[in-house]
Amino acid sequence: MDTILQGIVNGTLIGSIYGLAALGLTLIFGVIKVINFAHGSCLMVGMYAAYWAVKLLGIHPYLAMVIVVPALFFFGYLMQDIVIKPVLKAQSDVREPTEVIIVTTGVWYILDNVTLMIFGAEYRVIQTSISGKIFELGDLIISKPKFYGFIATIVVSLALVWFLKYTKMGKSIRAASLDREAASLMGINQYRVYNIAFGIGTAIMGVVGCALIPFYYVFPTVGVIFDVKCFIIVVLGGLGSIPGALIGGVIVGLIESMGAQFMTSTWTELIVYVVFLAVLFVKPAGLFGSKLDW
Amino acid sequence: MTRDTLDRTLKILAVLTVFTLPLWVTNPSYLQILILLFWYAYLTTSWNLVGGWAGVLPLGHSAYIGIGAYTSTILAVNYGISPWFGMIAGGVIAAIVGVIIGVPTLKLRGAYFALSTMAFGEGLRVFVENTDRLGSCVLNGPRGICIPLSNSFWNFQFMDKAPYYYIILIMLAIALFITWHMSRIRIGYYLNAGGEEPEAAQALGVNVAKYKVIAMAISCFMTALAGTFYAQLALYFYPKAILGLDLSFEIAFIALIGGRGTLAGPVLGALILRPVSEFSRIYLSSVLPGLHLVIYGLILILVMIFQPRGIQEPLTRFYKWFLDKVTVSRG
Amino acid sequence: MKRTSLWRNGFFGVAALLFAVVMAVSAGTAIAAKENVVKIGNIIPLSGPSASVGVQNQYACDLATEMINNAGGIKSLGGAKLVNIYVDSKSDPTVGVSSAEQLINNDKVNILSGCWNSAVTYPTTQVAEKYGIPFIVPVSVRNTITERGFKYIFRIAAKDAWWARDQFKFLDDMQKSRNVSLKTIAFVYENGDWGVGMAEQWKPLAAQYGYKIVLDEPYPSTSSDLTPVALKIKKANPDVLLLTSNASDAILLNNTMAEMKVKVKAIVGTGGGHADPMFRKNCGKNAEYMFDVVEWETDLGKAGIPEVNAEFKKRHGYDLAGESVDAFASVFVIADALERAASLDPKKIRDALAKTKLCSGPGMIVSYDCVEFDETGQNKNAGIVMVQYRMIGDSLERVSVWPESAARKGFKTVFPMP
Repeated sequence: MDTILQGIVNGTLIGSIYGLAALGLTLIFGVIKVINFAHGSCLMVGMYAAYWAVKLLGIHPYLAMVIVVPALFFFGYLMQDIVIKPVLKAQSDVREPTEVIIVTTGVWYILDNVTLMIFGAEYRVIQTSISGKIFELGDLIISKPKFYGFIATIVVSLALVWFLKYTKMGKSIRAASLDREAASLMGINQYRVYNIAFGIGTAIMGVVGCALIPFYYVFPTVGVIFDVKCFIIVVLGGLGSIPGALIGGVIVGLIESMGAQFMTSTWTELIVYVVFLAVLFVKPAGLFGSKLDW
Repeated sequence: MTRDTLDRTLKILAVLTVFTLPLWVTNPSYLQILILLFWYAYLTTSWNLVGGWAGVLPLGHSAYIGIGAYTSTILAVNYGISPWFGMIAGGVIAAIVGVIIGVPTLKLRGAYFALSTMAFGEGLRVFVENTDRLGSCVLNGPRGICIPLSNSFWNFQFMDKAPYYYIILIMLAIALFITWHMSRIRIGYYLNAGGEEPEAAQALGVNVAKYKVIAMAISCFMTALAGTFYAQLALYFYPKAILGLDLSFEIAFIALIGGRGTLAGPVLGALILRPVSEFSRIYLSSVLPGLHLVIYGLILILVMIFQPRGIQEPLTRFYKWFLDKVTVSRG
Repeated sequence: MKRTSLWRNGFFGVAALLFAVVMAVSAGTAIAAKENVVKIGNIIPLSGPSASVGVQNQYACDLATEMINNAGGIKSLGGAKLVNIYVDSKSDPTVGVSSAEQLINNDKVNILSGCWNSAVTYPTTQVAEKYGIPFIVPVSVRNTITERGFKYIFRIAAKDAWWARDQFKFLDDMQKSRNVSLKTIAFVYENGDWGVGMAEQWKPLAAQYGYKIVLDEPYPSTSSDLTPVALKIKKANPDVLLLTSNASDAILLNNTMAEMKVKVKAIVGTGGGHADPMFRKNCGKNAEYMFDVVEWETDLGKAGIPEVNAEFKKRHGYDLAGESVDAFASVFVIADALERAASLDPKKIRDALAKTKLCSGPGMIVSYDCVEFDETGQNKNAGIVMVQYRMIGDSLERVSVWPESAARKGFKTVFPMP
């Protein structure tokens, strides 16, 4: 019985972190209608940034967010501005330009392998002051870093919702995501909006990087582990939907955690794919997606 | 010499060169590279029927390669059926699976379709990796299957590389012919229209979805044949190698770099991308691990930025310019 | 407009640079070919998930090669120098096979070596056998690699059946000598070629030694969270836990088990991830008292180990691991065979390798006395040592504890784990 409860708690916590990672992806998709295949690599960059911030400056991993998050914002901003914008401009009449997917995949290869050249292939783990720390509620064990990750997810999503609803830039982003032509006619500089949306999506990966670093390891292709998961989550929840990403994340986390109680854990991966395809077949827009998008 | 004769002469020359290549490329490792090159060209041509024309981006085609390889190998190892027949059986199974997957997914748009094919491909890989035996058939999970050595035409095994070369060359020629033929009959027009303007085509009463599913079935059938070919060439395969995401991606990349939706694109893409990735991996990976993949990524980005329709476009332009130039200067 | 022209220039610049790099490298290879050298083709994973170990192997081979070349190269071949050519296998059998053909036909290598992943080694050795080029397998443990009647394949490492056999022998020994009763056993292993192969060896042994298998759990080695697996172990509550893990998952699983307070009487690893220097660096106290089987350890009382290890550590910042030592020793085995063959004829090198009895020299830092191959090409002396992780001061160390002859002096095995 207690392993079931333990499984639910752990699945929810880790699932919320997946959801946070997927949040960045869904935001970017919502605006430029492109799946950013380099998303996992952005997470990798975020994790390396967090790792080095903690290692070199000796600061607390959550304090490192102060450095990592803005750094990742500019990283994403520049990536969109320099690499993706030219293709996007050339394909401005296409709604979902496939070429951009390929460009982001190219970025993924370059980021992962440049990291391999610079930092080498080894796995890096850093012992922080909260690594391996737990809360105990009776028999129930809650990992502190995962719990804080859960809190971070809630804070970041609320902040994001507020930003999109109440700031000028947020409103522009929402306008551009509804109809980019109309938005640019209304005087919104769509490419600047894209840059900022991309920057925010990447900055979220900085938060995830800092949240993961106390309990997860870093290596150049770490992004791939989360990549496919994020894709599944955003589509499951509905591309472009913020609550969809979070709930999708928790669903995946729970399937992995609870499924393993009843079957070999390798099979839970398959369950995730089956659930994903089943949801798509029944409700093609995903759980919270808008009908326009599929 | 008129422009047309020159064009025809050059094309005949190219075909002749390709067919006589094994006579003067005797080095088996170069021949192997050529075989894999045509294998990729064939795969991409098959992919192109869906990915190029139907206006969607399938990212799970390695699933059908796996279906082909596993079907023919299981039939050969367990029941002694020649891989030549197993190849057809694999193709039929793949086509059926393709239709089952295609009917609900092909009506999805862009990213949804791409990701659902990807999930299907990954799901199949996880399934095979976790299955040691399926009924009486040994799948061997992650360890893959080894095909016992027995050189004979009946067993689709040859000591020499040249027969493999001709087999894949003929397969590629047939695939190109099918593509060409399809582009000239109704289905091609409909798909093309549906790929570019789905709503408009729908409004004109064209049942685009039906034609997409037909294209998917043909594409999956052809892809599975390549799976059997690969199994017989390597005589050993395992899930990560033939069911992985990497292979699915590579096929899509070759098509996009070459020029999706065109006849020559997949072949040109394979012709350029394969040698680059093969030789840069061999010669650069010891200098700086990962450099070859950085180069690969750079090529992807640069081609997409400067030639979003793929390299077939400037190459065709160049070829035409060349024809004009030569025929004009000769009067 | 300005950006476009910049991009154009950038494009040609990059293209020119790439071209230059390719030409320079090819030219470099061409020059090397003219000197008096023996070329060894190494096919190892240099990118992808196994890159970490691949690179360690490369470093070890480089160190060994340098030592041999500095000592005058191969004297019977007029002081010929050894040259390593490394090719990335990407852990992909197809790539392994085509790389082997490439190395044999174009680079004209004299000897092949590799490929770390059994899945790659298995088909790649077939190519070497077909062409009659000697192939040294330093690490890959899959049994069948040397069980196909091949003549040109030689393996330094012990095969997986031997690893499993010794894990059970050790547990049996401990039960008898410590009067601890172990009844139930759990298998947890990475869902790859290697892990599944090990589990297959474990199952009959568990039956033979009278254990009850309470958990048989493969897991994907690229898991983002291993808590579910840790919970399952906790629920099954076995006396013994046998693990086969790659590097990243070994670290994650170990730390997660500590977090979830999983208590077992004995945890025994199977090298690989548990022998990776990164494991030691990253697990600390969480891994204390766990056991691991290895072929080699820094604390083995053998001449030469401290010097070689110090040099390696100076260059790369971590200790040699068992697998790197196999790679290191393999270069000396090659050099020894070349010395005796006094020829570059593959047949002669092969015959010399078959007669190998290398017992001394700077390369023999292995745990056993001599490298000798049986008629299948398997190193028949490849021995296995059991180590226990212990905290010494602030750092986690691997202390050899079994068999008695290899045990580090002054340490007493802690069994069962507290």
